Amino acid sequence: MPIDPFASPDSPRPRVPLKSEFASDPEMLEIVELFVQEMPGRLEQMHNSWNNNDLQALKRAAHQLKGAGGGYGYPAVSSAAAALEQALKSVLGGQSAAEMDSLRRQFNELSELCRSVTVK
Amino acid sequence: MPADETKPVVFLVDDSVDVHRLLTARLRHENIALRTFTKGADALAAAKSQAPATILLDLQMPGMDGFEVLRQLKDNQATHSVPVIVLSGLAGSEDKVTAFDLGATDYVTKPCDLAELRARLRASLRTDRLLRLLADRADVDGLTGLGNRAHFNKRWVEKVAECKRYKHPLSLAMLDVDLFKRINDTYGHPAGDEVLQGLAQILQRECRETDVPCRYGGEEFALIMPNTSPADAITLAERIRSSLAKVMWARHPETPVTVSIGLAGTAQGQAALPPEQWIEAADRSLYAAKHQGRDRVVSTDVMGNPASGGSAAGPVPKQGNLAKAG
Repeated sequence: MPIDPFASPDSPRPRVPLKSEFASDPEMLEIVELFVQEMPGRLEQMHNSWNNNDLQALKRAAHQLKGAGGGYGYPAVSSAAAALEQALKSVLGGQSAAEMDSLRRQFNELSELCRSVTVK
Repeated sequence: MPADETKPVVFLVDDSVDVHRLLTARLRHENIALRTFTKGADALAAAKSQAPATILLDLQMPGMDGFEVLRQLKDNQATHSVPVIVLSGLAGSEDKVTAFDLGATDYVTKPCDLAELRARLRASLRTDRLLRLLADRADVDGLTGLGNRAHFNKRWVEKVAECKRYKHPLSLAMLDVDLFKRINDTYGHPAGDEVLQGLAQILQRECRETDVPCRYGGEEFALIMPNTSPADAITLAERIRSSLAKVMWARHPETPVTVSIGLAGTAQGQAALPPEQWIEAADRSLYAAKHQGRDRVVSTDVMGNPASGGSAAGPVPKQGNLAKAG
Protein backbone atom coordinates (compact mmCIF):
# COMPACT_ATOMS: atom_id res chain seq x y z
CA MET A 1 0.00 0.00 0.00
CA PRO A 2 1.51 3.36 -0.97
CA ILE A 3 2.26 5.68 1.89
CA ASP A 4 0.07 8.70 2.08
CA PRO A 5 2.51 11.49 2.75
CA PHE A 6 -0.23 13.46 4.40
CA ALA A 7 -1.19 10.70 6.78
CA SER A 8 0.37 11.73 10.01
CA PRO A 9 -0.12 9.27 12.83
CA ASP A 10 2.79 10.71 14.79
CA SER A 11 1.64 14.29 14.58
CA PRO A 12 -1.41 15.22 16.55
CA ARG A 13 -0.64 18.93 16.26
CA PRO A 14 -2.92 20.98 14.02
CA ARG A 15 -1.18 22.10 10.86
CA VAL A 16 -0.48 25.82 10.66
CA PRO A 17 0.30 26.88 7.06
CA LEU A 18 3.93 27.76 6.64
CA LYS A 19 4.20 30.59 4.13
CA SER A 20 7.19 31.37 2.01
CA GLU A 21 9.02 34.57 2.87
CA PHE A 22 9.30 35.10 -0.87
CA ALA A 23 5.62 34.67 -1.74
CA SER A 24 5.45 38.23 -2.99
CA ASP A 25 8.77 38.15 -4.81
CA PRO A 26 7.98 37.81 -8.52
CA GLU A 27 11.50 36.57 -9.17
CA MET A 28 10.88 33.64 -6.85
CA LEU A 29 7.17 32.88 -7.13
CA GLU A 30 7.48 30.33 -9.90
CA ILE A 31 10.13 28.19 -8.23
CA VAL A 32 8.50 28.47 -4.81
CA GLU A 33 5.34 27.09 -6.41
CA LEU A 34 7.38 24.29 -7.91
CA PHE A 35 8.92 23.53 -4.52
CA VAL A 36 5.49 23.36 -2.88
CA GLN A 37 4.09 21.22 -5.72
CA GLU A 38 6.94 18.76 -5.45
CA MET A 39 6.88 18.60 -1.66
CA PRO A 40 4.43 15.63 -1.42
CA GLY A 41 6.75 13.54 -3.62
CA ARG A 42 9.76 14.57 -1.58
CA LEU A 43 7.98 13.73 1.67
CA GLU A 44 6.91 10.37 0.32
CA GLN A 45 10.50 9.55 -0.54
CA MET A 46 11.67 10.58 2.90
CA HIS A 47 9.00 8.43 4.53
CA ASN A 48 9.98 5.51 2.32
CA SER A 49 13.57 5.93 3.42
CA TRP A 50 12.42 6.09 7.03
CA ASN A 51 10.24 2.98 6.72
CA ASN A 52 13.02 1.07 4.96
CA ASN A 53 15.49 2.23 7.58
CA ASP A 54 17.61 3.75 4.78
CA LEU A 55 19.14 6.42 6.97
CA GLN A 56 21.81 7.37 4.43
CA ALA A 57 19.15 8.32 1.89
CA LEU A 58 17.29 10.20 4.57
CA LYS A 59 20.44 12.07 5.51
CA ARG A 60 20.97 13.15 1.89
CA ALA A 61 17.37 14.35 1.71
CA ALA A 62 17.77 16.27 4.96
CA HIS A 63 21.04 17.76 3.73
CA GLN A 64 19.38 19.00 0.55
CA LEU A 65 16.40 20.44 2.40
CA LYS A 66 18.75 22.18 4.80
CA GLY A 67 20.40 23.90 1.85
CA ALA A 68 17.19 24.57 -0.06
CA GLY A 69 14.53 25.43 2.53
CA GLY A 70 15.81 28.88 3.38
CA GLY A 71 16.42 29.60 -0.30
CA TYR A 72 12.74 29.06 -1.05
CA GLY A 73 11.73 31.24 1.89
CA TYR A 74 11.29 28.58 4.57
CA PRO A 75 14.15 29.01 7.05
CA ALA A 76 12.21 26.87 9.58
CA VAL A 77 12.47 23.94 7.13
CA SER A 78 16.21 24.50 6.88
CA SER A 79 16.66 24.52 10.66
CA ALA A 80 14.56 21.40 11.14
CA ALA A 81 16.42 19.66 8.31
CA ALA A 82 19.75 20.65 9.83
CA ALA A 83 18.68 19.23 13.20
CA LEU A 84 17.56 16.00 11.52
CA GLU A 85 20.81 15.73 9.60
CA GLN A 86 22.72 16.19 12.84
CA ALA A 87 20.64 13.57 14.64
CA LEU A 88 21.15 11.17 11.71
CA LYS A 89 24.89 11.70 11.87
CA SER A 90 24.88 10.80 15.58
CA VAL A 91 22.78 7.71 15.00
CA LEU A 92 24.83 6.58 12.02
CA GLY A 93 27.93 7.03 14.11
CA GLY A 94 26.64 4.59 16.77
CA GLN A 95 23.09 3.99 17.90
CA SER A 96 21.72 4.51 21.35
CA ALA A 97 18.09 4.52 22.45
CA ALA A 98 18.21 8.19 23.36
CA GLU A 99 19.62 9.12 19.98
CA MET A 100 16.96 7.12 18.18
CA ASP A 101 14.30 8.97 20.18
CA SER A 102 15.83 12.28 19.29
CA LEU A 103 16.00 11.20 15.65
CA ARG A 104 12.34 10.24 15.64
CA ARG A 105 11.43 13.62 17.11
CA GLN A 106 13.50 15.50 14.52
CA PHE A 107 12.02 13.47 11.70
CA ASN A 108 8.48 14.21 12.82
CA GLU A 109 9.30 17.86 13.27
CA LEU A 110 10.64 18.16 9.73
CA SER A 111 7.78 16.12 8.25
CA GLU A 112 5.28 18.33 10.00
CA LEU A 113 6.89 21.50 8.68
CA CYS A 114 7.12 20.07 5.18
CA ARG A 115 3.46 19.19 5.22
CA SER A 116 2.50 22.71 6.10
CA VAL A 117 4.35 24.63 3.37
CA THR A 118 2.16 26.83 1.20
CA VAL A 119 3.12 29.57 -1.18
CA LYS A 120 1.09 32.28 0.52
CA MET B 1 20.65 32.00 -27.57
CA PRO B 2 22.71 34.52 -29.51
CA ALA B 3 22.32 37.16 -26.80
CA ASP B 4 24.26 34.88 -24.47
CA GLU B 5 27.35 34.87 -26.62
CA THR B 6 28.50 38.20 -25.29
CA LYS B 7 27.75 37.35 -21.67
CA PRO B 8 30.36 35.78 -19.44
CA VAL B 9 29.66 32.08 -18.92
CA VAL B 10 29.24 31.03 -15.30
CA PHE B 11 29.13 27.37 -14.30
CA LEU B 12 27.13 26.16 -11.33
CA VAL B 13 28.22 22.71 -10.14
CA ASP B 14 25.94 21.30 -7.43
CA ASP B 15 24.26 17.92 -7.03
CA SER B 16 21.09 19.56 -5.72
CA VAL B 17 18.62 20.58 -8.39
CA ASP B 18 17.07 22.93 -5.83
CA VAL B 19 20.28 24.92 -5.78
CA HIS B 20 20.22 25.09 -9.60
CA ARG B 21 16.69 26.44 -9.56
CA LEU B 22 17.28 28.87 -6.73
CA LEU B 23 20.39 30.37 -8.20
CA THR B 24 19.00 30.42 -11.74
CA ALA B 25 16.12 32.49 -10.36
CA ARG B 26 18.31 34.64 -8.13
CA LEU B 27 20.90 35.36 -10.79
CA ARG B 28 18.35 35.91 -13.55
CA HIS B 29 19.07 39.62 -13.78
CA GLU B 30 22.83 39.32 -13.71
CA ASN B 31 24.57 39.80 -17.01
CA ILE B 32 25.73 36.19 -17.21
CA ALA B 33 25.00 32.96 -19.05
CA LEU B 34 24.51 30.40 -16.26
CA ARG B 35 25.14 26.73 -17.08
CA THR B 36 24.22 24.14 -14.46
CA PHE B 37 25.85 20.77 -13.79
CA THR B 38 24.97 18.10 -11.25
CA LYS B 39 28.20 16.16 -11.78
CA GLY B 40 31.72 17.44 -11.28
CA ALA B 41 33.11 15.35 -14.12
CA ASP B 42 30.66 16.88 -16.63
CA ALA B 43 31.55 20.40 -15.51
CA LEU B 44 35.28 19.66 -15.84
CA ALA B 45 34.88 18.42 -19.40
CA ALA B 46 32.76 21.43 -20.36
CA ALA B 47 35.14 23.89 -18.68
CA LYS B 48 37.95 22.87 -21.00
CA SER B 49 36.05 23.95 -24.10
CA GLN B 50 33.77 26.72 -22.80
CA ALA B 51 36.25 28.77 -20.76
CA PRO B 52 33.82 29.82 -18.00
CA ALA B 53 34.45 33.23 -16.42
CA THR B 54 33.69 31.85 -12.96
CA ILE B 55 32.69 28.49 -11.51
CA LEU B 56 30.34 28.22 -8.52
CA LEU B 57 31.28 24.90 -6.96
CA ASP B 58 29.64 22.74 -4.30
CA LEU B 59 32.01 20.60 -2.23
CA GLN B 60 29.89 17.68 -1.02
CA MET B 61 28.77 15.79 -4.10
CA PRO B 62 28.42 12.08 -4.72
CA GLY B 63 31.04 10.70 -7.11
CA MET B 64 33.68 13.35 -7.78
CA ASP B 65 33.53 15.85 -4.93
CA GLY B 66 34.29 19.55 -5.16
CA PHE B 67 37.84 19.22 -3.81
CA GLU B 68 38.70 16.82 -6.63
CA VAL B 69 37.07 19.13 -9.19
CA LEU B 70 39.24 21.98 -7.89
CA ARG B 71 42.35 19.81 -8.08
CA GLN B 72 41.69 18.83 -11.67
CA LEU B 73 40.77 22.37 -12.73
CA LYS B 74 44.13 23.60 -11.47
CA ASP B 75 46.01 20.74 -13.11
CA ASN B 76 44.76 21.61 -16.56
CA GLN B 77 46.29 24.45 -18.56
CA ALA B 78 42.95 25.40 -20.13
CA THR B 79 41.11 25.75 -16.82
CA HIS B 80 43.97 26.67 -14.51
CA SER B 81 43.06 30.35 -14.16
CA VAL B 82 39.26 30.13 -13.95
CA PRO B 83 38.13 31.78 -10.70
CA VAL B 84 36.22 29.34 -8.47
CA ILE B 85 33.75 30.41 -5.78
CA VAL B 86 33.08 27.50 -3.47
CA LEU B 87 29.45 27.28 -2.37
CA SER B 88 29.37 24.90 0.51
CA GLY B 89 27.43 23.74 3.51
CA LEU B 90 30.78 22.94 5.12
CA ALA B 91 31.44 25.92 7.34
CA GLY B 92 34.49 24.53 9.13
CA SER B 93 37.66 26.50 8.67
CA GLU B 94 39.56 23.32 7.78
CA ASP B 95 37.41 22.83 4.68
CA LYS B 96 37.87 26.49 3.77
CA VAL B 97 41.62 26.25 4.14
CA THR B 98 41.72 23.11 2.01
CA ALA B 99 39.57 24.71 -0.69
CA PHE B 100 41.69 27.86 -0.81
CA ASP B 101 44.88 25.81 -0.86
CA LEU B 102 43.56 23.91 -3.83
CA GLY B 103 43.08 27.22 -5.64
CA ALA B 104 39.55 28.41 -4.81
CA THR B 105 39.28 32.20 -5.11
CA ASP B 106 36.33 32.64 -2.75
CA TYR B 107 34.20 30.65 -0.31
CA VAL B 108 30.55 31.17 0.52
CA THR B 109 28.71 28.99 3.04
CA LYS B 110 25.19 27.76 2.30
CA PRO B 111 22.55 28.81 2.99
CA CYS B 112 24.00 32.01 1.59
CA ASP B 113 22.87 35.59 1.52
CA LEU B 114 21.88 36.14 -2.08
CA ALA B 115 22.88 39.79 -2.20
CA GLU B 116 26.31 38.81 -0.93
CA LEU B 117 26.65 35.99 -3.44
CA ARG B 118 25.72 38.33 -6.28
CA ALA B 119 28.31 40.86 -5.10
CA ARG B 120 30.99 38.18 -4.80
CA LEU B 121 30.14 36.83 -8.24
CA ARG B 122 30.45 40.29 -9.75
CA ALA B 123 33.80 40.80 -8.05
CA SER B 124 34.97 37.46 -9.42
CA LEU B 125 33.85 38.37 -12.94
CA ARG B 126 35.76 41.66 -12.69
CA THR B 127 38.91 39.78 -11.73
CA ASP B 128 38.42 37.33 -14.57
CA ARG B 129 37.96 40.15 -17.07
CA LEU B 130 41.20 41.80 -15.97
CA LEU B 131 43.07 38.49 -16.15
CA ARG B 132 41.81 37.96 -19.68
CA LEU B 133 42.77 41.48 -20.67
CA LEU B 134 46.26 40.81 -19.39
CA ALA B 135 46.51 37.46 -21.14
CA ASP B 136 45.22 38.96 -24.38
CA ARG B 137 48.01 41.46 -24.43
CA ALA B 138 50.51 39.58 -26.51
CA ASP B 139 53.55 40.62 -24.53
CA VAL B 140 52.39 40.28 -20.92
CA ASP B 141 52.65 37.13 -18.84
CA GLY B 142 49.23 36.55 -17.27
CA LEU B 143 50.47 35.01 -14.04
CA THR B 144 53.21 37.44 -13.04
CA GLY B 145 52.35 40.60 -14.97
CA LEU B 146 55.92 40.74 -16.25
CA GLY B 147 56.80 40.82 -19.93
CA ASN B 148 56.62 37.39 -21.52
CA ARG B 149 59.13 35.68 -23.75
CA ALA B 150 57.93 37.44 -26.91
CA HIS B 151 58.36 40.76 -25.13
CA PHE B 152 61.83 39.73 -23.99
CA ASN B 153 62.91 38.74 -27.51
CA LYS B 154 61.80 42.09 -28.90
CA ARG B 155 63.44 44.19 -26.22
CA TRP B 156 66.61 42.13 -26.11
CA VAL B 157 67.34 42.61 -29.80
CA GLU B 158 66.86 46.38 -29.35
CA LYS B 159 69.17 46.52 -26.34
CA VAL B 160 71.94 44.51 -27.97
CA ALA B 161 71.79 46.84 -30.99
CA GLU B 162 71.98 49.93 -28.73
CA CYS B 163 74.91 48.44 -26.83
CA LYS B 164 76.76 47.88 -30.07
CA ARG B 165 75.96 51.28 -31.57
CA TYR B 166 76.59 53.47 -28.50
CA LYS B 167 79.26 51.28 -26.88
CA HIS B 168 77.23 51.10 -23.69
CA PRO B 169 77.73 48.45 -21.06
CA LEU B 170 75.04 45.76 -21.05
CA SER B 171 74.19 42.79 -18.87
CA LEU B 172 71.74 39.96 -19.11
CA ALA B 173 70.58 37.64 -16.30
CA MET B 174 68.83 34.32 -16.67
CA LEU B 175 67.16 33.26 -13.42
CA ASP B 176 65.79 29.82 -12.63
CA VAL B 177 63.90 28.92 -9.44
CA ASP B 178 65.72 26.08 -7.68
CA LEU B 179 63.89 22.75 -7.32
CA PHE B 180 60.67 24.29 -8.54
CA LYS B 181 59.13 20.96 -9.48
CA ARG B 182 59.51 19.82 -5.90
CA ILE B 183 57.53 22.86 -4.67
CA ASN B 184 54.72 22.08 -7.11
CA ASP B 185 54.71 18.39 -6.26
CA THR B 186 54.88 18.91 -2.50
CA TYR B 187 52.66 21.94 -1.97
CA GLY B 188 50.51 22.02 -5.12
CA HIS B 189 50.35 24.27 -8.15
CA PRO B 190 48.90 27.28 -6.31
CA ALA B 191 52.03 27.27 -4.12
CA GLY B 192 54.19 27.13 -7.24
CA ASP B 193 52.26 30.03 -8.74
CA GLU B 194 52.84 32.07 -5.60
CA VAL B 195 56.57 31.49 -5.84
CA LEU B 196 56.61 32.71 -9.45
CA GLN B 197 54.56 35.76 -8.50
CA GLY B 198 56.78 36.38 -5.48
CA LEU B 199 59.93 36.33 -7.55
CA ALA B 200 58.27 38.62 -10.11
CA GLN B 201 57.50 41.09 -7.32
CA ILE B 202 61.08 41.02 -6.11
CA LEU B 203 62.30 41.64 -9.65
CA GLN B 204 60.01 44.62 -10.01
CA ARG B 205 61.02 45.99 -6.63
CA GLU B 206 64.76 45.56 -6.99
CA CYS B 207 65.11 46.60 -10.62
CA ARG B 208 65.72 50.10 -11.87
CA GLU B 209 63.31 51.68 -14.28
CA THR B 210 65.45 50.95 -17.31
CA ASP B 211 65.79 47.24 -16.48
CA VAL B 212 63.47 44.82 -18.24
CA PRO B 213 62.37 41.81 -16.16
CA CYS B 214 60.54 39.09 -18.09
CA ARG B 215 59.14 35.62 -17.53
CA TYR B 216 61.13 33.58 -19.99
CA GLY B 217 59.04 30.42 -19.56
CA GLY B 218 58.10 27.99 -16.79
CA GLU B 219 60.16 28.87 -13.73
CA GLU B 220 62.78 30.75 -15.76
CA PHE B 221 63.04 34.52 -15.81
CA ALA B 222 65.23 36.88 -17.81
CA LEU B 223 66.42 40.31 -16.76
CA ILE B 224 67.85 42.83 -19.22
CA MET B 225 70.09 45.42 -17.55
CA PRO B 226 71.02 48.19 -20.00
CA ASN B 227 73.99 50.42 -19.13
CA THR B 228 75.05 47.94 -16.48
CA SER B 229 78.52 46.50 -16.20
CA PRO B 230 79.01 42.87 -15.14
CA ALA B 231 80.16 44.04 -11.69
CA ASP B 232 77.01 46.11 -11.14
CA ALA B 233 74.89 43.30 -12.53
CA ILE B 234 76.36 40.93 -9.92
CA THR B 235 75.38 43.35 -7.14
CA LEU B 236 71.81 43.58 -8.41
CA ALA B 237 71.57 39.81 -8.99
CA GLU B 238 72.86 39.17 -5.47
CA ARG B 239 70.19 41.48 -4.08
CA ILE B 240 67.51 39.54 -5.94
CA ARG B 241 68.95 36.19 -4.88
CA SER B 242 69.10 37.07 -1.19
CA SER B 243 65.68 38.77 -1.20
CA LEU B 244 64.03 35.60 -2.50
CA ALA B 245 65.86 33.37 -0.04
CA LYS B 246 64.53 35.53 2.84
CA VAL B 247 60.86 35.27 1.85
CA MET B 248 58.65 33.43 4.34
CA TRP B 249 56.07 31.68 2.17
CA ALA B 250 52.55 31.56 3.55
CA ARG B 251 51.90 28.09 2.17
CA HIS B 252 55.20 26.57 3.26
CA PRO B 253 56.94 28.76 5.84
CA GLU B 254 59.26 25.86 6.67
CA THR B 255 60.61 25.69 3.11
CA PRO B 256 62.51 28.67 1.72
CA VAL B 257 62.85 29.04 -2.03
CA THR B 258 66.08 29.94 -3.78
CA VAL B 259 67.07 30.98 -7.27
CA SER B 260 70.13 30.38 -9.39
CA ILE B 261 71.24 33.27 -11.58
CA GLY B 262 73.48 33.20 -14.64
CA LEU B 263 74.88 36.49 -15.92
CA ALA B 264 76.45 37.54 -19.18
CA GLY B 265 77.69 41.09 -19.58
CA THR B 266 80.17 43.57 -20.91
CA ALA B 267 81.48 46.81 -19.42
CA GLN B 268 83.13 47.97 -22.59
CA GLY B 269 80.16 48.19 -24.87
CA GLN B 270 81.95 46.61 -27.75
CA ALA B 271 80.13 43.38 -27.89
CA ALA B 272 79.64 42.30 -31.43
CA LEU B 273 77.97 39.21 -30.12
CA PRO B 274 74.62 38.38 -31.75
CA PRO B 275 71.66 38.46 -29.31
CA GLU B 276 71.17 34.69 -29.20
CA GLN B 277 74.82 34.08 -28.26
CA TRP B 278 74.41 36.37 -25.27
CA ILE B 279 71.51 34.22 -24.14
CA GLU B 280 73.60 31.09 -24.58
CA ALA B 281 76.38 32.65 -22.52
CA ALA B 282 73.97 33.58 -19.71
CA ASP B 283 72.48 30.08 -19.88
CA ARG B 284 75.94 28.58 -19.47
CA SER B 285 76.47 30.73 -16.36
CA LEU B 286 73.11 29.59 -15.05
CA TYR B 287 74.06 25.98 -15.69
CA ALA B 288 77.30 26.52 -13.79
CA ALA B 289 75.37 28.10 -10.88
CA LYS B 290 73.09 25.06 -10.71
CA HIS B 291 76.00 22.64 -10.76
CA GLN B 292 77.91 24.54 -8.11
CA GLY B 293 75.03 23.87 -5.73
CA ARG B 294 72.28 26.39 -6.67
CA ASP B 295 71.28 29.56 -4.77
CA ARG B 296 74.12 31.56 -6.28
CA VAL B 297 75.12 33.99 -8.99
CA VAL B 298 77.64 33.07 -11.70
CA SER B 299 78.80 35.67 -14.18
CA THR B 300 80.49 35.55 -17.59
CA ASP B 301 82.10 38.48 -19.34
CA VAL B 302 81.11 38.13 -22.97
CA MET B 303 84.24 40.03 -24.05
CA GLY B 304 86.30 37.07 -22.95
CA ASN B 305 87.38 38.15 -19.48
CA PRO B 306 87.36 35.17 -17.13
CA ALA B 307 84.10 34.18 -15.51
CA SER B 308 83.62 35.18 -11.91
CA GLY B 309 81.24 33.89 -9.28
CA GLY B 310 79.33 36.66 -7.60
CA SER B 311 77.86 34.80 -4.71
CA ALA B 312 79.55 35.39 -1.42
CA ALA B 313 76.46 34.60 0.63
CA GLY B 314 75.55 31.33 -1.02
CA PRO B 315 76.49 27.94 0.35
CA VAL B 316 79.92 26.50 -0.26
CA PRO B 317 80.00 25.06 -3.79
CA LYS B 318 79.56 21.34 -3.80
CA GLN B 319 82.25 19.22 -5.33
CA GLY B 320 81.60 16.64 -7.98
CA ASN B 321 78.77 16.35 -10.40
CA LEU B 322 75.21 16.88 -9.44
CA ALA B 323 73.23 14.34 -11.37
CA LYS B 324 70.45 16.77 -12.15
CA ALA B 325 70.19 20.51 -11.89
CA GLY B 326 66.73 21.65 -10.84
